[in-house]
Amino acid sequence: MEELMRIEGLKMYFGGLKAIDGFDLVINKSETLGIIGPNGAGKTTLFNAICGVYTPTAGKVTFEGREVQGTPAHEMAKMGIARTFQISKPLSGLTIFDNVIAAAGVHEYTGIQSYFHKAHTPEIEDRAEAVIREVGLADVANKKASDVSLGYLRRLEIARALVTQPKLIMLDEPCAGLSNFAINEITELVMRLKEKGQSIVLIEHNLPITMKVCDRITVLSYGKKIAEGTPDEVKNNKQVIEAYLGEEDDG
Amino acid sequence: MSSAYLYSILATATIFTLLALALNIITGYAGQAMMGIAAFFGIGAYTAAIITTNGGNFLLALLAGMLVSGIFGAVLGVISLRLQADFLAITTIGINFVMVALFNRLKITGGTLGLTIKKPVLFGVKMNNTYFFYMTVILIVVLCLLLGKMRRSWFGMALASINNDPGAARSFGINVSRYQILAFTIGTAVAGLAGGVYAHRMGFISSSDFAFVVSIQAVSMVVIGGLGTLRGPIFGALLITSLPEILRFADDYRELVYGLLLVLMVRFMPEGLIGDDSPVWSALMKLWRKFVPKKKTRADLIAESVEGGR
Repeated sequence: MEELMRIEGLKMYFGGLKAIDGFDLVINKSETLGIIGPNGAGKTTLFNAICGVYTPTAGKVTFEGREVQGTPAHEMAKMGIARTFQISKPLSGLTIFDNVIAAAGVHEYTGIQSYFHKAHTPEIEDRAEAVIREVGLADVANKKASDVSLGYLRRLEIARALVTQPKLIMLDEPCAGLSNFAINEITELVMRLKEKGQSIVLIEHNLPITMKVCDRITVLSYGKKIAEGTPDEVKNNKQVIEAYLGEEDDG
Repeated sequence: MSSAYLYSILATATIFTLLALALNIITGYAGQAMMGIAAFFGIGAYTAAIITTNGGNFLLALLAGMLVSGIFGAVLGVISLRLQADFLAITTIGINFVMVALFNRLKITGGTLGLTIKKPVLFGVKMNNTYFFYMTVILIVVLCLLLGKMRRSWFGMALASINNDPGAARSFGINVSRYQILAFTIGTAVAGLAGGVYAHRMGFISSSDFAFVVSIQAVSMVVIGGLGTLRGPIFGALLITSLPEILRFADDYRELVYGLLLVLMVRFMPEGLIGDDSPVWSALMKLWRKFVPKKKTRADLIAESVEGGR
């Protein structure tokens, strides 16, 4: 398997709080990797430290052989690392279509020169339309993002990430707060992406989904990796069960 | 009403329209709080005035006013990167007061006595209010064309994204800092241009012309008309500059009226009188659609294609 991203000794401290404390991970091409862990384990912080929202306190992140730790978020996006947000960040004043168009311009935001390039070109619109149909946003394409429900906003997050044609897509709890029906739809979408050979990192709270979708799972607890392996290995790991259900009482 | 009087009002109204459009670039499009636009209006005014009173060319003086104001604006843009909305608003208010104090103290700006500026001669004609009016209308038309192009470009898309959610904007490749600085630079440069025209149209400027209350006036114009649209600031500026003429009897309470209007608008009609989602504009558009059917956008077509199929 070809390696896509390698994380070595990543640390993210906030004052005295060690949110991520020496984390190692390898992500392979065309692999779906799950990151699970109890609330407050540091999963989203890990995403933010990798994607350039935070500058890591220490450690190394290598993407396609290049050291990228501390690179700002917009540069990461241009390199082909797309992420979604656990708490949706729609561009509320724009339509769903324009939200996706905005993200499709990932390589166009060059500063003053971008004034001379029209955003709504047929090529860009075709790309946006294809992604909108793929993720199931077509029926609300002309609605303002402020007027659609959470289920659509979650798909919008994925659509905006996909339209940048990323080498690695990082999904932060794409199913949080959704109905079972909507969760199934998102799961199917992730499965389709996986079949196409997309490299995916998935943070998810819902264990059955993670087990079903992921090739490999890493378990995070208090900023440290406590287990890693195939879904079956992780499911039977004593430390994982303890982290999720609490330690067994010998009494 | 004599035509000289009418053109005097129109010249003022159009200059403030230009200022409102400048502020709208920063606050309306890029979503950055700016409560001190009058400082840059002043920098442009003094720069241009100093150049022409020393024998410089009028048009070159206007350009210089734009440039100097834009440079100061870029510096503010850099400062703004470290500040969130409320703190940025307070900082820009502070900058307004600092600049007024400097205009009042510096020898080159004439101190408390202000500057007297000769009426410029353009293409062999001595400029009067009528010419200033036409000249400013041309500037407004050109600016609106440029802004229209901006809104359809990736530059406009970047500003709209930042205005809606900077975090999301970063996640799809927008260098938020760079675009914020650019918005400040462009907006303050246009404010400087408006200042240069203002100084020469008035023939005399002093620090009180660029006081904080002028910034608030500009904010009122943009907010009352409708933030982030082209028609909003134009309508707001024309309304606010003509109000003193209509409200002659209430001259002493003018600032009170602006303040009250601003509070009422922000509380009850944040989209402005003729902003995109305002009742007035929605009703007008509905009426308009009866005569001219809406041209379907690509997004409409996509939505319809599945509604039929389900």
